[in-house]
Amino acid sequence: MRTRSIQRRLIAAVVTSQLLLAIGLASVAVYFIRHQLRKAFDSQLNGRAMSVAALVRYSEDEPPKLIFEDDLVPPPLERGHPDLYQVTSRGRQIAQSPNWSPDLQPFATTKRRYVNFERDGIRYRAVRLENIPVLDQEGDTPSTDVLTVIYATPTSEVTRAISYAGIYIAAGSGVLLLITVGLAVWGLRRGLRPLAELAASAAAISTANWELNPSEAARKTTELVPLTQAMTTMLEGLHRAFTQQRQFLANAAHELKTPVAILKSTLQSLLQRPRQAEEYRAGLEQALDDMARLEKLLHSMLRLARAEQWAAGSARRDLDIVDVAATCESAMERLAPVARARNVTLEFSPNGAMPVRADAEDLELVWANLLENAIRFSPAGDRVCLRLRADAGHGFVEVEDHGPGMTEAELAHLFERFHRGDASRARDTGGYGLGLAISKALIEAYGGTITPHSVPGHGTRMVVTVPLRT
Amino acid sequence: MRVLIVEDERRLAENIARSLRESAGYAVDITLDGEEGLFMAESNPYDLVILDLMLPKLEGLEVLRRLRRGGLAVPVLVLTARDEKESVVALLNAGADDYVAKPFDLGELLARAKALIRRGKGQSAAVLKVGDLEVSTADLTVRRKGKVINLTAMEYRVLEYLAHRPGAVVPKTELLEHLYDFNWERFSNVIEVYISGLRRKLEDTGQDRLIHTLRGQGYMLRG
Repeated sequence: MRTRSIQRRLIAAVVTSQLLLAIGLASVAVYFIRHQLRKAFDSQLNGRAMSVAALVRYSEDEPPKLIFEDDLVPPPLERGHPDLYQVTSRGRQIAQSPNWSPDLQPFATTKRRYVNFERDGIRYRAVRLENIPVLDQEGDTPSTDVLTVIYATPTSEVTRAISYAGIYIAAGSGVLLLITVGLAVWGLRRGLRPLAELAASAAAISTANWELNPSEAARKTTELVPLTQAMTTMLEGLHRAFTQQRQFLANAAHELKTPVAILKSTLQSLLQRPRQAEEYRAGLEQALDDMARLEKLLHSMLRLARAEQWAAGSARRDLDIVDVAATCESAMERLAPVARARNVTLEFSPNGAMPVRADAEDLELVWANLLENAIRFSPAGDRVCLRLRADAGHGFVEVEDHGPGMTEAELAHLFERFHRGDASRARDTGGYGLGLAISKALIEAYGGTITPHSVPGHGTRMVVTVPLRT
Repeated sequence: MRVLIVEDERRLAENIARSLRESAGYAVDITLDGEEGLFMAESNPYDLVILDLMLPKLEGLEVLRRLRRGGLAVPVLVLTARDEKESVVALLNAGADDYVAKPFDLGELLARAKALIRRGKGQSAAVLKVGDLEVSTADLTVRRKGKVINLTAMEYRVLEYLAHRPGAVVPKTELLEHLYDFNWERFSNVIEVYISGLRRKLEDTGQDRLIHTLRGQGYMLRG
C-alpha cells in the first residue's frame, strides 16, 4: 500500500503558501514602484516641457514676434537619445529640437495629455501642454499669446529602474522563501520526532514485554497524549487476555494429561496380548467411557473460557430477562436424582419473582454446581436448602449444607480452577474442580458476586448476589 | 513380585495393575489415597511402589518423603503430569528412583518397573542367570542349558523371585508375601506345590539340583 507522509504534505503546504505570498508581495511591490516611478517620470516630463516653454519670449521687433532662445536649451538627458520637443503658437511653429522631424505627430489622433510612441527603436513618452501663456511681458499689457509644447523623453531609464526593482524584490523573496521553508522543514522534523519515538516504543512491544515506554517528549506532546493513553489501555487489555489464554492453555494441557493417560493405558493394556472377543468389547466400552470423561472435561474448560471472556467484557451477547426462581427450580429437578441417591433432602424457599438479565442455562448451571457440591458434602439423611430473597435491587441466592464445612485455607482455594477439596470424592462424581470456577466466572459476567461462608464442622453456605432488573 | 499402586484415578490404577499382572506376572495392590498408600507401603514388603503425585489426603511427594524418612528402601516409580526440570529434580531428591510423565506408554512403564525391581534386588541384566538356568524377565521365558522350559504363571513367579536372589535363603512366608496380593488367601502348602512342580520341570532328567530346600528356613536357588 502506498503511504502518504504527513511531513511531506505539511512541507508542500508551507512551500506553496510561502510561494504564493512571495509572488503576491512582489507583484504588489513592483506595481507600486512602477506607479511611483511613472508619476515621477511624468512630473519630470512636465517640468522639462515647462522649462522649454519658458524659453519663448518676445523679440525687440515691432510688432514683436515670439522667438525661442536656442542657446539656453538644457543639454539632452542622454547622449545619442536626445529629448524631442516642439513649441507652437496658434498652429505656427516657434521652435523644435534639432532631431524633430515633421512626420512626428504623436498627438495627431488623440486629445490625451500623454502619449507613448516609438522612434528608431527607442520608446518615448510625450506630453502635450496647451495654452501656456508666454512668460515674457511686452510692456505692461499682458500677453495674449499662448503656446503649445510637445515634449518627449525616452522611457528606457524608468523601464530599467522598474525591472531592476522587480529583480531585487524577486531575489529577496526567493531567499526569504528558502529560509522559511528550511525553518519549516526543521521545525516539522523536530515536531514529529516524538511520534517516531512513540512508534519505536510501540515496536518494542512483544509477548515478553507488554510495557509501553513512551519517551519523555512523546509523553509531553499534547497531540500524542490521547494516542499514548489509548495504546496503554489497549495493551493492558491485550496483556490480560493473553495471560488468561496462556494460563488456560497451560491448565488445559496439564489437566488433559491424566484423562489422556487413562484412555491410552486402557487401549494399550487391551492390546498387550490376544484376548477373547468379549474382553475386547469390554475394553472398548471402557475406552468410550474414558473418552466421555475427556469430553466432559473439554466441555467444562471451554465453558469456563467463554464465561471468563464474558466476565472480562471481551465478548458481548444479547440477553433476555429471566426469573431466577424458575432457573432454581430447573436446577432442583436436575439434582433430584443425585440427592435421592445420597439420601439427601432438597429444600427450596422461593420469594416471589426475581427478574435478572442473564442466560437461563448459565444460571441453572451455577445453581446445579452449588447444589451438587452441597449434596456431595452432606451426610446421608441430611438436607440442603436453597433460599431466595431480594434486597435493595439485588437478588440473593443461598445454598446451605450441614456437611463438614471448610477451613480458611480451604476457602482460599475454593474458586481456583482444577482445585479439588477432596480429589477422590470429586472424581467419584466426575468433577474436575472446574464447577466453582465456572460458576464464579458466570456470576461475575452478570455483575454478581459469589461468597462462601463456612464454619468447620457446621456446614457451608454459598451466597450469590445478582443485580435485579425491574 | 508384588507391586503397590498409589493412584487416585481408579481406572488408570486398574489399567496399570492389569498390565503388570498380565505382562509381568506381578501381584498388584491398589490404593486410591496417599494416607492408605503410605500405610500399606510401610506394612507390606513390596518390591516396587508406583506412586501418583496428586493424591487426596496426603500428597505423593509427602508419601515419598515419609517412606524414605522411615528408612524404607523399596524402589519408587513416580507418575507425574509435570515434566519440568525442577519438579523432576525435586522428585528424585525426595527419594524417587524413576518417573514417567503422563500420558505415558504402558510398555515403557512396564520396562521401567522391571528394571527398578531388578536393581532393588542387586541385579542389572534383564536375563537372570543362575548356573545353567536363564530367566528372561522381558518375555517371561525360562531356559535350562538353552532348552526352553514351559512353566505355569505361578511357577514362573516363584522361580523369578528366587532367581533375583541367587544363593540366598528365601523363607516360605517371604515368597507368600511377595507373590500374592491382598485378594488372595494364602496357604503355605501352595508354595510347596509350585516348588515341586518347578523341580519336576527343571531337574527332570537327572540334572544338577537347582532349588535347594533348607528345612525350617526356606528355599535357595543355586547353580
